Amino acid sequence: MKSLTIRNLSKTYFDVHAGANVTAVRDLSLEVPAGEFVSIVGPSGCGKTTLLNMIAGFIPHTGGEILVGGHPVKGPGPDRGVVFQSFALFPWRTVLDNVAFGPKMRGVGRAEREKIAHEYLALAKLSAAAGRYPNELSGGMQQRVGVVRALANDPDVLLMDEPFASVDAQTRMTLQEELTRIWEQKRPTVIFITHDVPEAVFLGNRVVALSKGRVLEEIAVDLPRPRVWDDLNEDDRFKALSGRVLQLVRSA
Amino acid sequence: MRHRLSSLLWFCAPFAVLLALWAILVPHFDVNPRLFPHLDSVAQAGLEGIKDGTLVRHVGASLLRVTVGTVLALLLAIPLGIAMGVSPTVSSFLTPPFRFFSVLAGIAWIPLASLWFGYGFGAITFVIFNAVFFIVTYNTLLGVSTIPLHVRNAAASLGAGRWAMLTEVLLPGALPNIVTGIRTGLGFAWRGLIAAEMIATNVGLGYMLFVARDFYKTEVIVLGMIVIGVLWLLLDRLLLAPIERATSERWGMVQRV
Ligand SMILES: Nc1ncnc2c1ncn2[C@@H]1O[C@H](COP(=O)(O)OP(=O)(O)OP(=O)(O)O)[C@@H](O)[C@H]1O
Ligand SMILES: [Mg+2]
Repeated sequence: MKSLTIRNLSKTYFDVHAGANVTAVRDLSLEVPAGEFVSIVGPSGCGKTTLLNMIAGFIPHTGGEILVGGHPVKGPGPDRGVVFQSFALFPWRTVLDNVAFGPKMRGVGRAEREKIAHEYLALAKLSAAAGRYPNELSGGMQQRVGVVRALANDPDVLLMDEPFASVDAQTRMTLQEELTRIWEQKRPTVIFITHDVPEAVFLGNRVVALSKGRVLEEIAVDLPRPRVWDDLNEDDRFKALSGRVLQLVRSA
Repeated sequence: MRHRLSSLLWFCAPFAVLLALWAILVPHFDVNPRLFPHLDSVAQAGLEGIKDGTLVRHVGASLLRVTVGTVLALLLAIPLGIAMGVSPTVSSFLTPPFRFFSVLAGIAWIPLASLWFGYGFGAITFVIFNAVFFIVTYNTLLGVSTIPLHVRNAAASLGAGRWAMLTEVLLPGALPNIVTGIRTGLGFAWRGLIAAEMIATNVGLGYMLFVARDFYKTEVIVLGMIVIGVLWLLLDRLLLAPIERATSERWGMVQRV
């Protein structure tokens, strides 16, 4: 697993419509040790997606540096798995082939990569859907395929942008529990973006609140694991932490 | 199987009605065979054409030209379209001329083609090539540019290099549009073929039609028209439709242009 170091990072877009520069991320620093789960919250437009896209290597940054495992990010790569808010599945591949895509790119043979894909699909309770195409799945199922596809590539760093935003509350809680379980097994470094404060606290070792492209505050979450909703719903520490984060976000 | 049989019957039914009307009305009104033939004389012309090999020769010549022109066009158009689609600058620069030439595709090239290649195979194949090439290139380009950026990003972050991006993402992503392009292009090509064969050759379905006119052989003319239409329907149903069913429809990516 790899650590993630972000130093004095900034990103300025040129907004074609306004004809002016927009600074989405300014002078942002963040240190994430290998294997940590960091939740990022913040109001709409504060630069969360921009930050994630820079770590993923999809867009260049305009200042500062991003180090993954000590090496500067130069573009997208399989060491950083990405889960997209919009799923971004390949419509022309079956669910199984979507999940097996990463291993295929690594040169894993067909039998072996299908075995890997089946294992991960089972983990997300998607085995029955293996032969279907993404457009034949519900939104929540597509979401899970997106998560599992990133996981099956065994990334050192997992970048997730509001991955559970479009699923119903029930499925969402199941997915959150599945994700903590998988994370405890594989221990990747995770950056998890969300608007949902309880979700941020439930999942993270730490919650980072952003405001206007900067880190507003970091809150450590020292709740015991494994975490399940049945325990935490009524947990006083959980409630207190959620309350604090909520206050932060509202003041941001 | 049952479903397919009934859909086939349903497909043939209107043609059966047309044939019946023809068989009844033409003798009933005693139409001059120099203006429009009887059904049985057309059937006879068809049988004779098959027996003495002339019909087979014309059909063979036409199909060969279409196949060669189309295959050449696809071999060039698909890679070019993808290359153009990858770069937004190149694609926005080349889109207008490709649209322009897509419209011109087919028949309009016959005069120049016959000047350049002389009469026969070369000129006609060139016309086919043109009809397919510009439309398929344009559609491929369009197909590539409609692949969402996040899907390409997803592939890159799963470790896809340049070649894998091409074969695993850009090509399949553009395929629904490519198939649409092939269908449109072949439609133009087919019509262009008949027109070109009337002018620029001495074998082929178009030629068969045109020459028959000089001898008032309306049964040969109508036979040719029927063969042209039937061949197109077969091509569409046996080749193009199955490709579409296996790709765009299955993937839920049906977006017609
Ligand atoms: N390609 C772009 N060109 C110009 N400005 C952009 C671009 N992308 C983002 N921005 C601007 O940068 C700022 C941050 O955007 P970003 O998408 O990172 O926000 P976010 O925190 O992810 O918001 P949300 O919670 O709504 O997803 C916004 O003001 C946005 O308008
Ligand atoms: Mg965002």
